[in-house]
Amino acid sequence: MDSRKLLNLALSKGGDYADLYVEKSFYNTITLQDGEVNAAGVHQEGGLGIRVVKGQNTGYAFTESAVPSDREKTALIASHIANNGAVVKTADRFTTAQLPNRYPSLIPWESMSVHDKMPFLYRLNELIFEQDKRVSKVIARLENSTSSIDFYNSYGDHFSDIRPLASLLVVCIMEQNGHRETASVSRSFRMGAEFLTHELVSQLAKEVTERTAFLFDAQQPKGGEMPVVMSAGSSGILLHEAIGHAFEADFIRKNESVFSDKMGEKICRNGIYVIDDGTLQGNRGSLNIDDEGVPAQKTYMVTDGILTSFLHDRISARFFNTTPTGNGRRESFRYAPLPRMRATYMENGKDTEESLIASIKKGLYVDTFSNGQVQIGAGDFTFFVKSGYLIENGKLTQPIKDTNIIGNGPRTLSTIAGVANNLLIDDGTWTCGKGQTCPVSCGMPSVLVESLTVGGRI
Amino acid sequence: MLQKMTEYVLQSALKKGASHVRVTAVRDVSNELTVLNHSLEKIQSAVESVLHIHLFVDGRYGTCSTNTMQTGHLDNLLNQSIASIKLLAPDPFRTLLPKELQYKGVPLRDVFSGDVETEEKKDLLFSSTASIQNKNPALINATAHYTDSIRWVHIADSNGLHCTSEKSWFGLLTECSVLGENNTRPSDWNFIGGTNPIHISAAHESMRQTLDRALNKRNPKKARSGIYNVVVENRVASTLLAPVIDAISGAQLQQKNSFLLNSLGQRIGSSVLTLIDDPHKTGVPAYSFFDYEGNATKKRTVIEKGILNLFYLNTYHASKMQMPCTIATPSTLLLTGGKGDVLSLTKQMQHGIIITGFNGGNCNTATGDFSYGIEGFLVENGQITTPINEMVMTGNMINLWNQLHIAGDDAQPISSRLLPSLLFESIELAGL
Repeated sequence: MDSRKLLNLALSKGGDYADLYVEKSFYNTITLQDGEVNAAGVHQEGGLGIRVVKGQNTGYAFTESAVPSDREKTALIASHIANNGAVVKTADRFTTAQLPNRYPSLIPWESMSVHDKMPFLYRLNELIFEQDKRVSKVIARLENSTSSIDFYNSYGDHFSDIRPLASLLVVCIMEQNGHRETASVSRSFRMGAEFLTHELVSQLAKEVTERTAFLFDAQQPKGGEMPVVMSAGSSGILLHEAIGHAFEADFIRKNESVFSDKMGEKICRNGIYVIDDGTLQGNRGSLNIDDEGVPAQKTYMVTDGILTSFLHDRISARFFNTTPTGNGRRESFRYAPLPRMRATYMENGKDTEESLIASIKKGLYVDTFSNGQVQIGAGDFTFFVKSGYLIENGKLTQPIKDTNIIGNGPRTLSTIAGVANNLLIDDGTWTCGKGQTCPVSCGMPSVLVESLTVGGRI
Repeated sequence: MLQKMTEYVLQSALKKGASHVRVTAVRDVSNELTVLNHSLEKIQSAVESVLHIHLFVDGRYGTCSTNTMQTGHLDNLLNQSIASIKLLAPDPFRTLLPKELQYKGVPLRDVFSGDVETEEKKDLLFSSTASIQNKNPALINATAHYTDSIRWVHIADSNGLHCTSEKSWFGLLTECSVLGENNTRPSDWNFIGGTNPIHISAAHESMRQTLDRALNKRNPKKARSGIYNVVVENRVASTLLAPVIDAISGAQLQQKNSFLLNSLGQRIGSSVLTLIDDPHKTGVPAYSFFDYEGNATKKRTVIEKGILNLFYLNTYHASKMQMPCTIATPSTLLLTGGKGDVLSLTKQMQHGIIITGFNGGNCNTATGDFSYGIEGFLVENGQITTPINEMVMTGNMINLWNQLHIAGDDAQPISSRLLPSLLFESIELAGL
């Protein structure tokens, strides 16, 4: 591929910047259902995405063809975002970035056949049925993918990155006296086939069985405003929804976020640090380098209660005259990059989870979640709670389930009343949607929020 | 070219040891343009193709897919896939669609015959955003997002199935964000679409409505927790139908992960609830002659006066459940028999809440228990008054649909779920 020629064509109408994103990806799945591993899938795809940036504006086109003339046509389509201005030329030579290795594949997935993978799913199924007589159905799915990326831009930057991603998901359905309940658990890492271990299988079997059985004793809580203790780990969904999206700098530069004019302001109590991190070894949200050639980094969004950084791609960083934070991500060659989260979490505080619970006379403790959403401009966010407990007089009492919790981002941040010292990163299959999907993760120590609106029975 | 590839894959897979094969070829041509205020923010074009290959090998089953249309690559993919499938456990329930269910009619062709030049699309967008600039000082951003697409699909199998469809669609999404109190920036949207290009007057009207909606959302309050009558606006009513459709899909039913298991012939909603699946309705995106297995579609009554009449069962789930195969997925769903629009339902309700948007939430597929964040307006004496937010609607799906009191007839033909505005009685809402 003549990268320089393509970039110059892309810039020929007066664009400021152009990049090429060449991807080849392989996806494999096997599924266990009704006691048998009897379905497998293979998906292979590749293509070239060409982006041209003019100011804050983007021209984007992609082709699945490797024929040079098709690729040149694609570059010309993307070039049309610009229609005047001096023509910028691509740098004379490309410098290849030396990348860290945040996701080594010790055992390449290609070395593992379907036959090698199947026993893990069978064992998972067996363990779940052994652990509880009420289990009626188990669905387990193993997914692994490898994406090979080659990137070139008009500044002369080049990188090659190979990104593995592995996920194991299990759904358990139980029946008790004609009543059914279902729960799921998952793990996902950027790893090779060393991901698959008997220890992982045992953990998932235990967790999914316990979670499903728990639901028979749980009920939807009484609704209304109340204090909520969010347990360590997957409660990081609060940060993802209440803070992360509203800190993505495309919303900021368009003045559409409720946090648009709060840079440098105190937004929560002292001692709170919120981070978006692309550097965690093997984490689902980690990257060696982002999808527009900026090294991934650990970004402090909130430092000691002060808003200190938004999440930037190249366009927003240029707009704000700052450096990009390595958050320019895309689902595939079919999409232009946008500011996206990676692993979003809060650092430890000084409280203990026990003390946070003990401080509540009447409230809610929540510990597993399925999905969330936010309205960037209004600041209202929600997350769906799969399980938790009522807190009564400082103790966990009645199990609860299936409630949507809603709050307002800035107000919720300002009412975080306690942060425990038990930070946990959740390694489930978190996937963020923003017109295109990206694998992410989240984490949090246990946190007490003074007031949130809990959906429930009246 | 792609149809030839379909035949090549079909024959090649059989030669390589597959007992049966189904191949679906899809080609999408799409264009997107976005104007933000006075600036062309984004322009994107794409042509993409994919082959989805379903392989039945020695009583076993697997799939593969690719966007690389070279015979050497396809042969390698088939070799690898067939070798892997041979290692799986057998699955006697996997079969091709029986011949008697195959669609054997003419190809479906619903493609706009003219051309819309890029400059025309730009003019539409720029004039739409310009039409509301300076209309209100609270306006922060006006965005107009245009899409057009042509999708061609061809399905063939080794049992003699051949069916083709080609459809085009035009869409315009308008969004406005405005300045509210406490530095909030409420926003709203509107979508218009159809099988013909968007007319400029419709685009302007959509933009005007979008600005009004965003302005009306400013300075919301949280209402007291309580039991309310609610009107759910037509454009968001499908959120409440989605769990019902999921619960009558073969995938959930066969796994006993459905709150509507064993509900065929049972009452699952009030007598106001009649739901028709009409695949042959034209001018809507789900217009179809066949499903993804090539099964010929026909008009069906899914729910009649509250009684469930249909499970969505493809060949696999039907076989596993020892029930007749119906159709794999819904096409265009119409909730029929109602009268009135959102305002007339609001007047009939007199007091309550009109829900204009959902904010997150979910439904437990096994139990039907749900909880959704809502936004909308208080209704007092039949009049829409204060905007409300940060409230949550909670209940059980079967109870909810049994509390459907009045349906309107104001469904918008812009999606595959043509639901009118709906008035439900006695809904639990958590707020203050």
